[in-house]
Amino acid sequence: MASAMRAARAQLETATHNLANVSSDGFRRATSQVRLTAGGLVTSRTQSFEQGAIRHTGRALDFAILGPGSFQVGAGRTRNGTFVTDRDGWLTDDRGRRVIGTRGPIAIDAQTTVRSDGEVRSGGRSINWLPLPAGTRLQSGALETSNVNAIGETLGILTAQRAFETAQKVLVAIDDTRQKAVNDVVRLK
Amino acid sequence: MYAAASGMAAQQTNLEIIADNLANADVAGFKGAAASFTDVNAGGTLGLGTAVLGRHPVLDQGKLMKSGGPFDVAIDGTGFFRVDKHGAAAYTRAGEFTRSADGRLRNADGWALHGVRLPADALSATVGRDGRIFVDTTSAKHRAAGRIVLAAFPAPERLRPLGGTLFAQTFESGNPQRLEPSEGTSTIAFGMLEKSNVSIVESMMQILTAQRAYEANAKGVQAADEMLRIANNLHRS
Repeated sequence: MASAMRAARAQLETATHNLANVSSDGFRRATSQVRLTAGGLVTSRTQSFEQGAIRHTGRALDFAILGPGSFQVGAGRTRNGTFVTDRDGWLTDDRGRRVIGTRGPIAIDAQTTVRSDGEVRSGGRSINWLPLPAGTRLQSGALETSNVNAIGETLGILTAQRAFETAQKVLVAIDDTRQKAVNDVVRLK
Repeated sequence: MYAAASGMAAQQTNLEIIADNLANADVAGFKGAAASFTDVNAGGTLGLGTAVLGRHPVLDQGKLMKSGGPFDVAIDGTGFFRVDKHGAAAYTRAGEFTRSADGRLRNADGWALHGVRLPADALSATVGRDGRIFVDTTSAKHRAAGRIVLAAFPAPERLRPLGGTLFAQTFESGNPQRLEPSEGTSTIAFGMLEKSNVSIVESMMQILTAQRAYEANAKGVQAADEMLRIANNLHRS
């Protein structure tokens, strides 16, 4: 029963983490699965691959990925395409980490355009590529919103809380039974 | 519990930005701001909630509107007016200037348009689309009196907001470059003002969304708290 309480706790953590990121563009929610093993209930987390809704922003350097794939920024990867330029004209994310294309960091000037297949062009020449899987398209002037559904996660929180409560009640009941077994049964002898 | 609390903090930041945008929705030359958020993970599996990735001004062009002021100017395109006050420089898109006694064009807070000084005997002034200023004086008509030169930045979104419509240069924004207004890049619209680029309807919608998200995250904190209480009840006397 302790493992059931742990599982409920893990479910709550997943749900609150998702809910906290309801405004994080490009965020993909996590789902927790509970499995029954010999050692009790075990939870694991997987990431959802559901496409988030596309929000139109009109900013030239906002990019939404339609389909699988992600941007490489610095050493990490993200689907949040809120980009700006830095003082040297490189494309960076909002924290200032450079966006990396197939030919290194991406230089942006007034003539630069990014095509829907990820090709970065400037002055009629191809200067870089944002590597994307085949079939994935890029939309500029838009962002992919978080795919978290606030109602679903709130429901997950309530469910986890109730499951935790139930597990605790059962645990107390088991404790009571054992108490009886230890104290009362011994007294009978 | 802390993941949910971080979500509440994020929505609070979000609301502050939206409220500031809304408060300035009627201020000519104001640029709205936007924040972006990211998830925080520890060791790849444990979710720790969310954090602000960064915030930046939204520098979209505002609509130009006809105004009544005799020295009102607006920028159609990129770039900023450079304004000075007490030796400090700031950059703005707000072009609501009035002529002060020393011949300089100042805004309501006393910031003077850089590099422009009208002659003392000027009766009226006009500004061309290329920023050149011409004045009519008692003795001459259409006399050249300097030029408005704009400042462009390599990374304008990294400018630091000084409150209101003013921005300050930062290391990340790079140094200002001279941008002479001309057809094809940026032009000066004389007798016009640039409206703020904040959409009131959109901001109201964002407030509702942020408020609901805040409430939902508060539920998460409550649930975590409740579960801790239940766990404490395991140990009964």
